[in-house]
Amino acid sequence: MKQVIMGSQAVSWGVRLARAEVIAACPSMPQAQVVEELSELCASGELKARLIRVESEYSAMAACIGASSTGARTFTATSAQGLALMHEGLHRAAGARLPIVMADINRALAPDWTMWTEQNGSRSQRDTGWIQIHCESAQEVLDSTIQAFKLAEAVDLPVMVILDAFEPSHASEPVDIPEQAEVDAFLPRHAARSKLGKNELHAHGALAPPALTMEMRLRQQEAMAEALQALDAVDEEWGQRFVRRYGVIESYQTEDADLALVVSGTVASTARRVVDQLRANGEKVGLVKVRLFRPFPTTALREAFAGIPHVAVLDRNLSPGRSGIFAGETRAALYDLEPGKRPAIHGYIVGPGGRDVRPETIIECIARTREAAKNPTACEREDIWIGVRS
Amino acid sequence: MRDDQAGGDIQHGVPSIPLCAGSTLANRSGSRKTIRPIHQDMVAPCNAACPVGMDVEGAMNLLREGKVADARDLLLRENPMPAVTGRVCDHPCQTACNRASFDDAVNIHAVERMLGDLEPEVQAPVPARTRKEKVAVVGSGPAGLACAYHLARLGYAVDVFEAEPEPGGALRYGIPEYHLPREVLAREIERIRSQGVEIHRGVRVGGNLSWQELESHDAIFLASGARVNRPLELAGQDPADVRPGLEFLREAKAGDRGTVGRRVVVAGGTDTAVDCARTALRLGADPVVICQGTRADLSASTEAFDEAIREGVRFEFQVWPVAVQTSGHAEHEEAIDAIRAMYVEREGDRPRTRLAGVECVRMRAGEPGPSGERRSLPIQNSNFIIPADTLLTALGEEPDLGFLPSEITRKGYVVKVDEFGRTNHPGFFAGGDITGEARTVAHSLGSGKRAAIGIDRYLREKAGEPVAEADPQALRYGGTGNFSITRWRGDDPVQRSGEVNEVVPFERLNLAHFKSVPGKPDRHRSFEERRSSFAEANLGLTPNEALAEARRCFECGVCNQCELCLIFCPDIAIQRHPSGQGFSHSEQYCKGCGICVAECPRGAKVMTREGR
Repeated sequence: MKQVIMGSQAVSWGVRLARAEVIAACPSMPQAQVVEELSELCASGELKARLIRVESEYSAMAACIGASSTGARTFTATSAQGLALMHEGLHRAAGARLPIVMADINRALAPDWTMWTEQNGSRSQRDTGWIQIHCESAQEVLDSTIQAFKLAEAVDLPVMVILDAFEPSHASEPVDIPEQAEVDAFLPRHAARSKLGKNELHAHGALAPPALTMEMRLRQQEAMAEALQALDAVDEEWGQRFVRRYGVIESYQTEDADLALVVSGTVASTARRVVDQLRANGEKVGLVKVRLFRPFPTTALREAFAGIPHVAVLDRNLSPGRSGIFAGETRAALYDLEPGKRPAIHGYIVGPGGRDVRPETIIECIARTREAAKNPTACEREDIWIGVRS
Repeated sequence: MRDDQAGGDIQHGVPSIPLCAGSTLANRSGSRKTIRPIHQDMVAPCNAACPVGMDVEGAMNLLREGKVADARDLLLRENPMPAVTGRVCDHPCQTACNRASFDDAVNIHAVERMLGDLEPEVQAPVPARTRKEKVAVVGSGPAGLACAYHLARLGYAVDVFEAEPEPGGALRYGIPEYHLPREVLAREIERIRSQGVEIHRGVRVGGNLSWQELESHDAIFLASGARVNRPLELAGQDPADVRPGLEFLREAKAGDRGTVGRRVVVAGGTDTAVDCARTALRLGADPVVICQGTRADLSASTEAFDEAIREGVRFEFQVWPVAVQTSGHAEHEEAIDAIRAMYVEREGDRPRTRLAGVECVRMRAGEPGPSGERRSLPIQNSNFIIPADTLLTALGEEPDLGFLPSEITRKGYVVKVDEFGRTNHPGFFAGGDITGEARTVAHSLGSGKRAAIGIDRYLREKAGEPVAEADPQALRYGGTGNFSITRWRGDDPVQRSGEVNEVVPFERLNLAHFKSVPGKPDRHRSFEERRSSFAEANLGLTPNEALAEARRCFECGVCNQCELCLIFCPDIAIQRHPSGQGFSHSEQYCKGCGICVAECPRGAKVMTREGR
């Protein structure tokens, strides 16, 4: 069934079709719409979930941790400051290996107060142990939300489904909504390995001596490695059932390219058009959309960049004092390739705080990369900020 | 962490999910505490505010548990006539109700009325006569009946002497029928008699009953009430149409409906004044109440005033009569009088003159005196006439103390008594309106009870029995309310633990656990109906509505085993108290976090320092 819906509604549809059992969230812009719609679905009985209203995102995450510990399929949604407030709980959820799914609608963190998109919210939770999936369109949001539950429950790790604020969260697009029965076949009821309950008494969060913690960390890391494979498997099964596939990364026109863009989120749509346009002019440009940020798809990226001498990474985020985070991650992923096989990485900061990333912005990144390519040490330079007012 | 199925497959010696299948009981978090929670049952503000001294909260708790008869019996321990007070009391309990600060006060008096109106399933047993002493009670108004009731239930033989042909005092002769139907009063008096109280009617002390005979009793309780109308000094002739309001009420109550003109002026701001106006209204008159002071100076109950206004009674504030104007009979009135004279017997000659109008003067508030009180002062040349056929005076009533032995000390125009109703004369106790007690039915019932306790104590001491030192404050609910006879007897049927005789303030409640539910106001007869009928104006609530009101009670300060503390305790360190009331806290596991105290909806827990 095709419907024109917004990205935030695509989240709600995904949660509904996944038959989430507990939802705890504190509404805030631009994520509020997700919670509002879910609360209506719960009130009307279309979604048989327990909706827990809370006074803060910290409590939302705490409630999710409790609910998920009982084996309930658990969902929350948040944005920016709300996500930051959850920080302590994010570690707890991942460390306790709870398959919670969260939609994070990327909004720039205050100050100054803003509602527009930027990736620093999710980026600053990079090391909490959550799987992070970036979505480009409302369709991908819906599909990824359902996939996320399957992935989370397969590897006992929490998953953050990330979409940019307003586009697509508040932009209407035609979305193919799968049938409930088909989703049920893809995503059966969650059979938790451990359920806290009257008949299953365990101590959660007990004191762990040094003799145990290290191994627990290792198991978390192993689960992340497993997640990389698992997402492929989940995505493949999804593709078989629903035609659409996304992969951990998407390579577009990279086979004979001498320059590849690295993008994530909604910017990928614009970049794809730019690539088409430049290709029509005879330029050998391609792009790589990074869908999975944690675990980081190192191997997939190395394969995707094989034979491409220059890579331009577009970051809508910043680790102040270092660089754009995708650029840094990409450099680290490729560093140990043999010289000659390792592409030069050119970092660009584009569109923070919701500033438009237009085709011209992307064309400027490519032009600057071509210019820099003339200099053999170009890959060691600082990020270039595109579109800064003089 | 243990190697078992919990937490999934084992690798590197740990399961995939960090779980401990072992017990956390080894973790004795209690050793960390420096402060600890204790359970304490406190006093709800309604109990402390009740002039009768009833365990209102206890009754609400029993009603919530569906124990309707037990709730009724709990009220009856302290109040012999809940059906009366449920109708006529100005319910200070509701004014004090913490719920009023949340949504609406619980409609306590409607619940009390419902319980008072319940038909007893079984006749309450007559209390055993365990005492050899006899007590005489002079007057069968609320104070006298309450004292007699409580003494009978303490095992004494009680003789009540009533000068009037029927018992009830002010309840019978002072409160209009639409406010307190006589069958309700009759039922309540029957309830008191059923406890072994002997009521002798038509017996006047100093008249057909000698003091000598009275003093054959071991103690005497004086509660002859205040029946003397305060006079109003007016210039001009004194036509028969100027009458004491109390006398008018008494006649109206007796069914003589023909003694009021069409245009009725009632002078005074008392309950009697409002009752006179509402009664006159029902007799077809057009009443106006004139008051010396402002609305704020009215001594009448707010509810009675509001109802009077709704029924169509007019009030004129800061107006006072100075003279009456008279005229001869209008012809048609003479004819009516002639016809009336054929049916109604009257003593003496009717006066030739009739009231034509009341000359009034406008008043203003004077400068505040030393006590801060502002006296009303007449405004010069503000005189005006209110045309009137009848002027009723209701400036208040005073007791007639002339019949009392001279040994009994007076204080002003009332008898001087202490908290236990003791006069200075051994064996003589007094209560109600002949003492300085507030002039309400509830206060009179309360003073009767205090005197019953005083008499019990006096007689036991006299008999040489050991009597525990009676701390009046400990007998009072919250230290400031009225005496509880249950506390005096020490036989509280309500389980309490960690009792603290302090009122729990609104701030101590955790409102997060209460949902706003609007209160249910009393039902009333339509104004149309009320203007022509003496049928009861206030219809109260249906039993189901009253039960719903009871369920709105916060049960302030008293544990009702809601178990929220148990649910919220992060250490599972709370258990039911062995007594069955309240909760106790594990020495080993309670770490003194205070969550249970913060969560308790009714403030029945506090934190204390260790070792105290």
